Amino acid sequence: MHRVTLSIPSDPAFERVVRASTAELGDTFGFEPDRIEDLKLAVSEAVNNAIDHGSKRQAHMPIDVSFSVNGEHLEVRVTDHGTGVDRIDWSRRVVEEDNLDAGMLRGFGMYLISALVDQYEVTSSAEGTVMTLRLLRKVA
Amino acid sequence: MAASIRREEQGDLAILRISMPSVDAISAAAIEQACADMRPITALDFDQVNFINSAGISALLKFVVQARKSGYKLFAINVSPHHQKIFKMVEMSRFMPIVAERDLAAYREPARV
Repeated sequence: MHRVTLSIPSDPAFERVVRASTAELGDTFGFEPDRIEDLKLAVSEAVNNAIDHGSKRQAHMPIDVSFSVNGEHLEVRVTDHGTGVDRIDWSRRVVEEDNLDAGMLRGFGMYLISALVDQYEVTSSAEGTVMTLRLLRKVA
Repeated sequence: MAASIRREEQGDLAILRISMPSVDAISAAAIEQACADMRPITALDFDQVNFINSAGISALLKFVVQARKSGYKLFAINVSPHHQKIFKMVEMSRFMPIVAERDLAAYREPARV
């Protein structure tokens, strides 16, 4: 098991740092380019969710990201130190006329995570939220 | 217009070439500014884009909203296979069809004489 950890300020500019690290780790792990793109997007969504809804964009609050690699999977754990969330809506979300007309143009992130990674889970408490994503090594 | 988007105009057709690699929360404001540069037929060129997340999708939807309000046609060109997959997942392509750049001329109104 190898582990890489990052801690970034709750500022979307630093999400790009996590994304770049994700790409390098995905490549090191031997994922195909398309799966690396899936993982980059899923991690980006998890980090931005932590920044927006966990830390509420208070830059001084850190977002901790850990990557764990073993022979079977690459696991990414995104932790914020906010006050927790009641629930996360993972349901399918697509562009719809009614939402466009109502100016509701956001909310695709959790659905994208659920569709792009092999496993995902969330634990949340008054001390913060941890989102865990896993991509499995698939044997050809 | 933001320097990060290069605009080309041919009559009623505008091609907005996004020249930044990430369409995300950081670049969203610059991208949204280009909504003011739409024409009756507008194409967003993603040739230089290598990453789009949901914050970027939200920015792109501003173009969809503007096109619907104005009765404009909106297209996407030079979309990577990965981003085609993402657009399909969120059904973006229903509102911003992906076409080949060479085919844009077919959507233009014939010149009035």
